[in-house]
Amino acid sequence: MVGILIGQIAFSIVLASIFLFRPSLTSAAGWKIVAFVGLCVLPGLCLIGGMNTHVQRSETTRFCTSCHVMVPYGQSLYIDDANHIPAQHFQNHRVPADMACYSCHADYTIYGPLNDKLRGLKRIYLEYVTTPPAAAAIQIPGGFKNAQCLHCHAGARSFEENPVHSTMMSTLQSNEVSCLGSGCHDTAHDIANLDHLKFWKPLQ
Amino acid sequence: MKLSTIGIRRLLRASSGLVILGMLLEIVSLLWFHPLSFVLFAFVAAGLIGLGILVYLVSLVFVAGPSESTGR
Repeated sequence: MVGILIGQIAFSIVLASIFLFRPSLTSAAGWKIVAFVGLCVLPGLCLIGGMNTHVQRSETTRFCTSCHVMVPYGQSLYIDDANHIPAQHFQNHRVPADMACYSCHADYTIYGPLNDKLRGLKRIYLEYVTTPPAAAAIQIPGGFKNAQCLHCHAGARSFEENPVHSTMMSTLQSNEVSCLGSGCHDTAHDIANLDHLKFWKPLQ
Repeated sequence: MKLSTIGIRRLLRASSGLVILGMLLEIVSLLWFHPLSFVLFAFVAAGLIGLGILVYLVSLVFVAGPSESTGR
């Protein structure tokens, strides 16, 4: 996909460079059309393609963990302990492994993807312009919302038939009781203890 | 040579230059897997390409100008 887009960009560059060196060609009608395609249509398509590729790429686990401060969070996905919720989800493919971060941290609302991108830009600003926070000090603004768990688990038989879940479903949906902070599933990214934990090594 | 013709050619050159520079930066951003590559694309490459397209569209307005003045 990226290869096709780069090919399209290269073709656009070739077309555009014709008018960089020979702008007088546009006096002929046929070249006017070529100029319109080379300087307006193709660059516009390249912009749309580039934005689409970058947005898709920004949702990958590899992208998130390419930021220095996120490296320990990426390592915590390999902790060999089923009580660690992110590790258990990642290792058993309960979320797509190549989109593990985004699956649980995306804002599943109408303007969610836009809010996610704005939050990401704010983090880039913190990382490169101001003093970045220590990895362990990073907090999700407003805390981790149950909606992100319920996006997948709500409606699932194993989840709803669990008597603990069924008795407190309304409080879970209203976020009164947190899935993570209520003492039920409270081991998330335990990056403070990474040195003392065992790690799972995938075959590939 | 009319002044407007020289102006159009300058605008076309500027447009081509901006589009080419923006596209080269877009290629760099696509090959560079890093959070900053998104910033490079969204704020620099996209800005240059968008400006290039805008300059080209402005040059079209210049082309339309002389035809109207001659009554064609």
